[in-house]
Amino acid sequence: MPSRYWKSLNERDRPHDREDHATRLDAEPDGASRRDFLRLAGFSVAGVVASSCSRAPIRHAIPYVAQPDGVVPGRARWYATTCGGCAAGCGLRVKERDGRPIKVEGCPDHPLSAGGVCAVGQAALLSVYDRARFRAPQLRGVASTWAVVDADMRSRLDTIRRGGGGVRVLTSTVHSPSARGAIGRFLDTLPDAAHVEYDEISASAILDAHLVTHGVRALPRHLFERADVIVGVDADFLGPWISPVEFTAGYARRRRQASGPLAWHAQVESRVSLTGGKADLRISMAPDEADALVFDVADIIENGRAGSGAAGMLAERLLAARGRSLVVAGSGDLAMQIRCNRINQALGNYGSTLDLGRPSQQRRGDDRAVARLLQDVRDQRIAALLVSRANPVFDLPGGDVLTTVPLLVSFAERPDETSAAAHVVCPDHSAFEAWGDSEAVAGVASLTQPTVRPLGHTRAFIESLSMWAGAPAPAYELVRRTWRETIFPRQTAVPDFDRFWDATLEAGHAAVSAATTAGAFVPATPNSNRPPAVPDAVHLVLYHKPAMPAGEHSYNPLLHELPDPVTKIVWDNYASIGPGLAAARQITTGDVVRIDTGGQSLELPALVQPGQHDRVVAVALGYGGAMTERFKTIGHHWFQSRPTVGENGRIGANAVRFVRVDDGRRGTTASGVTLTRTGRTHALACTQDHHTLTVPARLAPAGGERWPIVQDIAASDLASSEPGPVESPANLWPEDHPATGHRWGMVIDLHACTGCSACVVGCQIENNVPIAGKDEVRRNREMHWLRLDRYFSEDADGQHMASQPMLCQHCAHAPCETVCPTLATLHSEEGLNQQVYNRCVGTRYCMNNCPYKTRRFNWFEYSRDPGTEHLILNPDVAVRSRGVMEKCTFCVQRIQDAKIEARRLGVPVKDGDVQTACQQSCPAQAITFGDMNDPTSRVAVAARDRRGYTVLEALNVRPSVTYLKVVRQSSVAVAESEHDG
Amino acid sequence: MAEAMPTRMRLPLIDGDKSLAQVTRDVCAPLDRRAGFPWWAAFLLSFSALGVGLVAIGYQMVTGVGVWGENNSVGWAFDITNFVFWIGIGHAGTLISAILFLLRQRWRTSVNRAAEAMTLFAVMCAGIFPIIHVGRPWVAYWLLPYPNFRGSLWINFRSPLAWDAFAISTYFVISATFWYVGLIPDLATIRDRLAPGLRQRIVSFFSLGWDGSGRTWHRYELVYLLLAGLGTPLVLSVHTIVSWDFATSVLPGWHATIFPPYFVAGAIFSGMAMVLTLMIISRAVLDLRDYITSRHIDVMCKLVIATSGMVGLAYITEFFTAAYSGNTYEQFAFLNRAFGPFAWAYWTMVSCNVLIPQVLWFRAVRRRVSAVLVVALLVNVGMWFERFVIIVTSLHRGFLPASWTGYAPTIVEVATLVGSFGLFFTAFLLFCRFIPVIAMAEVKGAMAADRHERSGVSA
Repeated sequence: MPSRYWKSLNERDRPHDREDHATRLDAEPDGASRRDFLRLAGFSVAGVVASSCSRAPIRHAIPYVAQPDGVVPGRARWYATTCGGCAAGCGLRVKERDGRPIKVEGCPDHPLSAGGVCAVGQAALLSVYDRARFRAPQLRGVASTWAVVDADMRSRLDTIRRGGGGVRVLTSTVHSPSARGAIGRFLDTLPDAAHVEYDEISASAILDAHLVTHGVRALPRHLFERADVIVGVDADFLGPWISPVEFTAGYARRRRQASGPLAWHAQVESRVSLTGGKADLRISMAPDEADALVFDVADIIENGRAGSGAAGMLAERLLAARGRSLVVAGSGDLAMQIRCNRINQALGNYGSTLDLGRPSQQRRGDDRAVARLLQDVRDQRIAALLVSRANPVFDLPGGDVLTTVPLLVSFAERPDETSAAAHVVCPDHSAFEAWGDSEAVAGVASLTQPTVRPLGHTRAFIESLSMWAGAPAPAYELVRRTWRETIFPRQTAVPDFDRFWDATLEAGHAAVSAATTAGAFVPATPNSNRPPAVPDAVHLVLYHKPAMPAGEHSYNPLLHELPDPVTKIVWDNYASIGPGLAAARQITTGDVVRIDTGGQSLELPALVQPGQHDRVVAVALGYGGAMTERFKTIGHHWFQSRPTVGENGRIGANAVRFVRVDDGRRGTTASGVTLTRTGRTHALACTQDHHTLTVPARLAPAGGERWPIVQDIAASDLASSEPGPVESPANLWPEDHPATGHRWGMVIDLHACTGCSACVVGCQIENNVPIAGKDEVRRNREMHWLRLDRYFSEDADGQHMASQPMLCQHCAHAPCETVCPTLATLHSEEGLNQQVYNRCVGTRYCMNNCPYKTRRFNWFEYSRDPGTEHLILNPDVAVRSRGVMEKCTFCVQRIQDAKIEARRLGVPVKDGDVQTACQQSCPAQAITFGDMNDPTSRVAVAARDRRGYTVLEALNVRPSVTYLKVVRQSSVAVAESEHDG
Repeated sequence: MAEAMPTRMRLPLIDGDKSLAQVTRDVCAPLDRRAGFPWWAAFLLSFSALGVGLVAIGYQMVTGVGVWGENNSVGWAFDITNFVFWIGIGHAGTLISAILFLLRQRWRTSVNRAAEAMTLFAVMCAGIFPIIHVGRPWVAYWLLPYPNFRGSLWINFRSPLAWDAFAISTYFVISATFWYVGLIPDLATIRDRLAPGLRQRIVSFFSLGWDGSGRTWHRYELVYLLLAGLGTPLVLSVHTIVSWDFATSVLPGWHATIFPPYFVAGAIFSGMAMVLTLMIISRAVLDLRDYITSRHIDVMCKLVIATSGMVGLAYITEFFTAAYSGNTYEQFAFLNRAFGPFAWAYWTMVSCNVLIPQVLWFRAVRRRVSAVLVVALLVNVGMWFERFVIIVTSLHRGFLPASWTGYAPTIVEVATLVGSFGLFFTAFLLFCRFIPVIAMAEVKGAMAADRHERSGVSA
């Protein structure tokens, strides 16, 4: 009889179990020898290790890139899913390794995001591993079980059904068909029930304006790639406004293209935004002036009136590009948005650059409905309020009143202001643990699939609602049912649902017919009066930072440490003021000022921002939340270190009190602000312009500071300029690094780069770059391998901003390599400048001798903060210890991966097989990487571009990174060339 | 010596018309008597400073280099400033003992022992910094080439830091040997004066059986001459190599061919100032005014003013080179040095190193010992700032304006600097207690020659 083998004592002591794993090994004689024992011990240990390493694969997941025969430990698998970071609904590919997602990338063929993914979307992966998440449902602040919570909820809801009282589900924009269905079915079981949506970055006025002008309350899809002329009015569309990745991709597509007319972009703005920095013409105007300007432009375009000044020029441009232009405004003012719609209508932009037929679902929020809800709560008409993916107590003005609702249910993933006041907390899965779907733009349906088993006892929002609606079902079934019933019939390409489902799951998204029809223009809309300008009033402009767009992300240290693309400040919000106002009030950066709007006041550190209008104070929203209290302990502590949190124990201060509500709509500007110095100071941590050092004028004349680091070229010179950089003939040293195989190189298009900083977070997660904390950044010890150097310049077209991604240049004649005494930094045969961590003793000479200052030193032991967040670490990249130098490796682990895979398949590495993390994430596709030795590779072709140059070429260090010059279109020059043409 | 021109112009090297026995008694007096209050006070102060430094270094070892104020652009600051400063201080010793010996400058005999000791202690202070400044000091020995099993992994012989390791260790070994060899006859003198006991046995061991015979003297003189010959190039080479730490880089403000002579001149300048400081104090405290006379101080002041001129010339040359080169980065680096945020450090350096030493042109000032002491102290301050200016102002605003930063030292850094002074003075005070501060044998030899010269003229 064959002996029975066992893997663990449990198994051995259990009676014969037929269903147990096949552990019978044949042809073994009876009686265990020492050899047998050892063999068995080894087997059982290996088995235990193997089974504990990885969570069981998700049953219904289908890998996107290649379907493996089985789980291979140490081998990454990729799943297509949809981003849950904001409502933009970008397509993602999630890298799963040994049962845990460790990296997020853009889905290359996604119709909206087109391969890019923003900083927020990538950083949101950390939400899975956040140690502060709710691990179990909470009943009145005490951890409970789902059975108890469900029983409690059912009885409370029954009481409401009998006794009356309103029930509201309050969420941020929900464009998931399944979630909308689940909410609807839940609300149908209750007498007075409604779903209220609102957005922290509101576009309610745009939707309302379309209700007025086109008869449909909808947000048109903006198609920036089709626009020859773009006029933005305080709309940070390359930043957090509506759909950053989609808009950046469209915008940059026009900037990257080699032929065809260049798109022209004018931005009218009061503060300095990412988008304004990128504009060809930037007009700095206070909000009231901008209102008047839009009125004048509308007047000129609609009534054919002759215009002058800025309005006349903009109108002339727009009229010259009828049907190929786009006017967008970020204002929360309905009249302004109506005027924008009328301009776009008059120019024939609906149907070309604005798609109202297949509208966007990325903003559905209705501020007036929220205002009604708040009124209802005040009138005590609401018996129960269920809040999902929103934190209204924190981010709604007057949201405190919601805590008075008799039954407040929160579905928060982690403690926030709303869940703190909630009677019941039913923690939702993170977006990486749950089944879900979305239709961010009509006709673009996509699926969200789990890539990790829920880490705690959390439950999907839609499961909770179905449970309480009396039809419990797992989320997977709910999503599948919704798709079978509502999505599948909207397409005809695949006749079989299962095949359609599988194909969609693999690709992540599917194109289906759009359900909505276009609204017709209502011509009789009356034009309101020209808004009056208030000459001396100081305005308060509330905005959202690209790097920290909403309070819901304020738990995320990756985003707090990500420098704001414009101000380069981390771990704070601040009162941004223009240099003129600062001089008039004798305020310098770091002074704590009190902002007073009459009713409300707030103290914030000031920041003097060149280019900002002098009648404007700008403050970012989304800061000062309870979630940021956790950062009290972040960073390395020693006796002179300062805490990352401010005096209030939090990161920044919450400015939501200034949000003005007019006619139910939330407005983010207020006028008549007073600004007073408090006499105190607050140290802001900035990765650039540390402390108050400024370049004395006699040392660096205006603009001279950035020459020739960032180079630009006039659009008119593009055709006539010399092609590409020529290899410098002078060379003192022998070519002893021939790099005969591959020679990796990179090209970065500065004209396409917007500075959005997605690459920084991509690099940080891919390469296990530690989070240093505010104090270390203040000491200029930020650890980012890839940084975005920001330079301002000024000409007749206003202030421009150039963002230059700066990373290790992998110089062929690297100054760092010769000076390292221990040979810890070397040149590879493939042109890489390599850092050998375990040989590095940390003399820092390499860092001193690096002309680009891209090396990063581990001043302390940064990565020893124990917590579940460590599960996000990439196992392919070493975690560096204290005292060691590190820097960009050109993602050498990815290069090796591609080479191993190519060798396995017996084929050469193809162009495009290796994508660095920064390149992959770039929404603008400004980064190209590849083999410079292959003259046909995309990178080699791009490097020969006539715009190509290398930074600090005169040093002859021969960097492997080529930059493409910024193209400057002077307004005058373009006007002339148009006349010529 | 035979063709040395006897002249009345040369004043006696020591005052007081001492007999040979009296020299021995005077020089050995501090060794014989118990330490007085001034010594104990000075020792406790220095030792406390050393303790502060040790605490600072210990804290830094446990916590990380991050407890210093350095950052991603300014990778070196106080650490390498202190290192170069102390190495520079060490130069005067070798200069006095080796070069002046070869040049037959007999006035050196009164100061060479102390100057050499100072050299050793300064090099010890300097040697601390390259070790503690690295991120992982426990593997700092990887900077040395040694046979190993890491696939026979060698150091990077192209790195100036590797050259540094060689230069400094060589310098320390040669200086220590030279100092010790010069000490042997005096140790024998002490041995002969001591009563039998432990101390006598120790001194006896280190005097290597010196018997004072003609043959011993002959061998001794030969070895001393050879070591002087060996030491002479080191005076030039060590600081030349230290300067290459900067000169071989690509950084504007560092990348300069003038650095080797500039650094050597600066090192001798600072070393002389330190010798002056120590001599002025110890001649007063140890009552050696007859041996270290105002004439000695006068000669050293002249050396100070000569090297001050060289340093000043180097400052001017740097600016000329930057202007003449047409290189905007180079020009910016120097304008930033003189007018940027660290202008105060630059002008402190210029004032202390070039302007203030000019008062030494006046004999009246050179004769006023207190005035000379003030000037010498200021020169030391100035030379410390010279290294600080070179290192920090070049690093904090490099090529890319986006990486421009500031720099401010932390308490730990300042404490480490204080600690290095503590080590230096602790060692020097111990030296004063246990070893004759003046090379007795050499002074006696010089006295003999002196008498011979003068008697020859009068005869």
